[in-house]
Amino acid sequence: MAITCPVNFDVKSLREEVQSIYSRVADAPQGEFHFHRGPAYATRMLGYDSAELAALPADVTSSFAGVANPHAIAPIPNGATVVDIGCGAGMDLLLAARRVGPAGRAIGVDMTEAMRQRAAAGAAQCGLHHVDVRAGDATNLPVDTASVDIVISHGVLNLIPAKERAVAEIARILKPGGRVQIGDIVIGEVLDDKALADIDLWTG
Amino acid sequence: MIGVFQASGFTSVAITHRFDCFAGTTKERTARRYGVLGVNLSAARGGA
Repeated sequence: MAITCPVNFDVKSLREEVQSIYSRVADAPQGEFHFHRGPAYATRMLGYDSAELAALPADVTSSFAGVANPHAIAPIPNGATVVDIGCGAGMDLLLAARRVGPAGRAIGVDMTEAMRQRAAAGAAQCGLHHVDVRAGDATNLPVDTASVDIVISHGVLNLIPAKERAVAEIARILKPGGRVQIGDIVIGEVLDDKALADIDLWTG
Repeated sequence: MIGVFQASGFTSVAITHRFDCFAGTTKERTARRYGVLGVNLSAARGGA
């Protein structure tokens, strides 16, 4: 399976559309969208632990719009430094923060202000003072080189045409031997040019 | 996506889980048409 990036794609329009959609998800997660949201979906279809999600603020879990479960890949150890690229409202970020504990750090990066506000407020509400939410995007991470043990990301790389650049950024911030735990979507066939230029498909 | 990580020097790149994340949404038909799935992807940065 592979994702092919289109040539001459209107990246600016895609970025604006992504920000618009996820601002709406942050502001009104119960609205109509073409993807599932919320903790019940995360538990039922993706295998998240319902008790862990119930312990997080509803403002954080209600805006969850993931497609997989990066936490199911491997345990995140106490004391680790974790970066969540495209942290959204912070559900995966706060779960990671609980696992690393106060001896670790959990850094969330997101380009959508409304989502960052939710994530930061959720961390404060949970007393997770080792959480740091930063503005940025996956192709230019505001994170020091070779400073991170684990990168998590959920439903973000598929939205980025410059995937090589985003993965190079992940490599830059990880320590040698650091791990990637990503949840995302893959496409089982090569798309034609019309499909590749369809923003609705990219944002879907 | 596996190829992008491998080309960037990551090792042990693997899809570990698959999820039918668009089932029951308005995009379910499109997802089935193009074989779109949610996946977990694991990888390690070399040089440890």
